[in-house]
Amino acid sequence: MLMIKDISIGRYYQGDSILHRLDPRVKIILCFFYMVTVFMMTTVPGLLATFAVVVFLCILSAIPVDTILKSVRPIVFLLLFIMLLNVLTTRTGHPLFSWWIVKITDEGVLRAGLMALRLFLLILSTSILLTLTTTPLLMADSLESLFGPLKRIRVPVHEMAMMMSIALRFIPTLVEETDKIMKAQASRGAEYDTGNVFMRARGYVSVLVPLFVSAFKRAEELAIAMDARCYRGGEGRTKLHVLHMNAKDYFWFSFLSCLCFALIFIDLFVKIS
Amino acid sequence: MIDESVSQQPEVSELPVILADNVRFSYMHPETGAVEALSGVSLMMQRGKHVALLGRNGSGKSTMAKMINVLELPQSGQVLVLGMNTLSEHDFWEIRRSCGMVFQNPDNQIVGTTVEEDVAFGPENLGVPTAEIRKRVDESLSYVGMMSLAKRQPSQLSGGQKQKLAIAGVLAMAPQILLLDESTSMLDPLSRDDFLAVVDRLIKDRQMSVLHITHDMSEACMADYIYVLDKGKVAMEGIPSRVFSQVKELRGLGLDVPVFAELAFEVASRLGLVIKQETLESRATALAGIRNMLDKVHLDVGIHIPAAAVPDERLTPQRTILEVSHLHHSYDKKGEPSLSDISFSVKEGEIFAVIGHSGSGKTTLITHLNGLLRPQEGEIRVFPHADGDVLNTKKNSDVHQIRRVVGLLFQYPEYQLFEETVEKDIAFGPLKMGLPADEIKRRVRESLALVGLDESILQRSPFELSGGQKRRVAFAGVLSMDPDILVLDEPAAGLDPTGRREILGYAEKIKKLGKTIILVSHNMDEAARYADRILVLKNGTARALLTPAELFSNPEMLRDLELCAPETVICLNDLKADYPEINPCIFSPGDAADELIRAAHGIHTGNAQKVPERLPGDAHD
Repeated sequence: MLMIKDISIGRYYQGDSILHRLDPRVKIILCFFYMVTVFMMTTVPGLLATFAVVVFLCILSAIPVDTILKSVRPIVFLLLFIMLLNVLTTRTGHPLFSWWIVKITDEGVLRAGLMALRLFLLILSTSILLTLTTTPLLMADSLESLFGPLKRIRVPVHEMAMMMSIALRFIPTLVEETDKIMKAQASRGAEYDTGNVFMRARGYVSVLVPLFVSAFKRAEELAIAMDARCYRGGEGRTKLHVLHMNAKDYFWFSFLSCLCFALIFIDLFVKIS
Repeated sequence: MIDESVSQQPEVSELPVILADNVRFSYMHPETGAVEALSGVSLMMQRGKHVALLGRNGSGKSTMAKMINVLELPQSGQVLVLGMNTLSEHDFWEIRRSCGMVFQNPDNQIVGTTVEEDVAFGPENLGVPTAEIRKRVDESLSYVGMMSLAKRQPSQLSGGQKQKLAIAGVLAMAPQILLLDESTSMLDPLSRDDFLAVVDRLIKDRQMSVLHITHDMSEACMADYIYVLDKGKVAMEGIPSRVFSQVKELRGLGLDVPVFAELAFEVASRLGLVIKQETLESRATALAGIRNMLDKVHLDVGIHIPAAAVPDERLTPQRTILEVSHLHHSYDKKGEPSLSDISFSVKEGEIFAVIGHSGSGKTTLITHLNGLLRPQEGEIRVFPHADGDVLNTKKNSDVHQIRRVVGLLFQYPEYQLFEETVEKDIAFGPLKMGLPADEIKRRVRESLALVGLDESILQRSPFELSGGQKRRVAFAGVLSMDPDILVLDEPAAGLDPTGRREILGYAEKIKKLGKTIILVSHNMDEAARYADRILVLKNGTARALLTPAELFSNPEMLRDLELCAPETVICLNDLKADYPEINPCIFSPGDAADELIRAAHGIHTGNAQKVPERLPGDAHD
C-alpha cells in the first residue's frame, strides 16, 4: 500500500551557519551570479576554480557532505545521459576508440566531462545557497522583496508571494488528508497498486475527487478567515520579519560576487592569450 | 459562579456592543433560488458579557456571526457594532478589527507558515509598525500559553493548540468582541476545556464581550444570556436557567438541556412537581433542588416507586470475533511507540468502546483492525464464523477478506464521498467486491434505510447534501459491504445533539442485527450509555478493559486515567451522600431519576438512617 505521509517540501537543513544567516536576497543574487560564472567558464582550470568556490560554500554552510550530495542524487541519471550523448555525438578531435558507427574522441570526453561538471556545480550551488539553508517562507519573502519594483508595472508580486506561502502552509495538511482519504477508500475496497493502468487511474479518482472538493472548501473558508482578519492585499501592509541587510551581508555579497567576476575575467584572459 | 461586579454594572447607560435589529438575509442557491437564512433576527449584547447563540445545524447562527463581522451584509434591518453600522463603508475595517472571530475548523483559518507568522497576520494587515507587531505577537502568544511554540509549523500542532493559536491571532488585533463560531466542536474534551478557560479569562481580565455559537449545552451553561435560533428566527431567549426550564421546547428545536437540568426535570415530572427556574442555574443548584424534591417523596403515597434496576444480561459468554494480541507499533523507529503491547478480544454482537485522549493511539489501533496498517509486532486475528476460517492481518492473502468482514468508518467520513450520485457512492464497496448488480441494488437500499435516509436521495449528487446527510451516506457506504464488525471512529463528531443521537441510534440498531461494533469516542456520556465494554487507551498502552459500570464506579481509576465520569454519575455520586443506597452507575437521566426516587423512598420509609443534611453550596465537582 502506498503511503505518502513522509513527503517533505524543500530540504531545509536546520542550522545556524554563516550561509543560514545570510540575507536570502543576497543568496538568490549570488546564486544567479554563480550560475553565470559556471556557464562562462570554458577552460578546465577555470571550472576547477569555480568548483573550489562551491567547496568553500560547503564549508561555510556547515552541512554534512553526505546531506549535500543527496541533493544531487536525483539528477545522476540525467548527468550520465548527457555525458553519453556528448561522448557519442562529438566527431571532432583525436579518436580514442572506434567500433562500427561508434567513435569516441578525446574532445568528446572532455566536452562531456565539462558539461557534467557544470550541471553538477549548478545543482550543488543552488542546494547549498538556497534549498538547504533557506526556509521556503524566507524564499517567498525575499522574492517578493526582489521583484517589488515590478509592482509599479502592476505585476501582482505580493499576491504571488502570498499564494506561495499559503501553498507551503497547506502542503502538509493536504498530504495528511490524502493519506486519510486513501485509507478510507481502501477500507471500502479501493486498490491503487493492482490491475491495469485504467483500473489504477480509476482508483485514484476516488482519492482525487474528495481531495479537490476539500481543497476548494478549505480555500473558501481560509478566504473568509483572512477577510475576518482584515486582509486587503499588499497595500499598507507591514511585516513581522522585515528583511534587513547588515554589514555581514554586504561583506559576503561583495566578496563572493567579486570572486565570481574575477574568475570570469581571468578565464577570458587565459583564453584570449 | 456569577461575577457580581459584572452584573452590577450600569447596563442602561452604556451602549450595547452588538445590536442587531430585525436582520434579514437570503443566500442565492444555484438550483433552488433564494434561501432565507435569517428572517428578522434581533439581538443585543452588553460589554463584558458572554452570550450564547444556540440552534441546530442550518438554523442561521453562523450567518448571524458573519453579519456582525461584516462578512455578510443585512439585506434589510441593521447591525450596530460598538455603535457603528455595518452598512457604513467608512467603519468597515474598524468593525472587523474590533470583532475577532474564531472559526470551526482549526486547519482552515491558519494563514502563517509558522505560529508567530500567523499571529502577526492580523496586525500586518492593519499596518501596525514592526516593533509593535513583535510586542503584540509575544503578548498574545504568552496569553494563551504558547510562547514556546512560536517557531513551530502549524502542521505540528494539535487541534486544541491550533484553536488557541487562532485566539492569539485575533487578540493581536486588540479586539473588544470575540465571536466563536462552533470553535470547540472539533476538539477533544481536554483541549476544549483548555480553550474555554482562555475565553473565560478574557471575559474576566479584559472585559471581552463574547458571542459563542454552539450546540453544546455544557458550554451554553457558561453564558450570561442565551439566544436560540431556529429557521432564521429567534425562537427562545433568556438567562440560561430560563431557557433550560423549557425542556420540551428545546428538544423540539433539535437541542438538548444540560444533563443536570434533564435529571431535575425527570425527577420533578415523576413526582408531579414543577421546577422553579432558579433551580436550573447550575449543577449545584439543580442538585439542591433535587434534594428538596426527594425529601417530599414520603409525603405522597400516590407516587409510583420504580423497581430496582435489573442488571443487564450483558455478561452471557459470547464467541470472540476479533482478537488483538501483543500489538506493537511505532511510526518512527527511534521515537516513542504509538502502541505498545496491546491485547484484547472483542465478542460477537457487543458494542466495544475504545476511549482515550487525543494522541493515546486510538486511530492507530483501529487502522490496524482491517489491515490498513500491519502489525510490526504481535498479531490481529479475525474469526468471522463460529467454525470457519481464521483470518490474520499479517497474511497478504487474508487482507482482502478482512476488509469485507471489518468495515471501517473514519472520523468526518463525509470527505470520502466522490461519485456522481449517492447510489453510485454507496455501491462502490459492493462493486469492488464483485457482487451481481441486483444484489448491489438491494444492499444500497437496505443500508440507506438503516441510516434513515429516503430513496429519493439516491440520484442526487453527494456534494449537494447537508453535512448530516453526507455523514449518513458515508455510513451507508460502509454498511453496504455488509461487514460483521463495524469500526466507527467518532461517528458523531461535530454534529448537533439530534444528529448525535440519531447516528448513535443507528449503531444500536445495527447491533441488534447481530453485528459487532467497535466505537471510538472521547465522549464519556456516550461511551457509558452505548457500550457493553470499554477499553481505555493511554499513551499507547491498554490501561483498562471494563464494563461502563465497573469503570465509572471507580473514582481512583478515573483520576489515574485522567477521565471524567459521565454527568449522571457525577450527579448521583453527589446525592449519594444523602441517600447512600444510590447506585451511581446509571447513565441515562430517566433511569437515574427512577433510581433516585427508589433510593429516597427506601430511606424515608424505614430501614436506612438519614445522613445529616448538606449545604447546597458545597457540592463537589
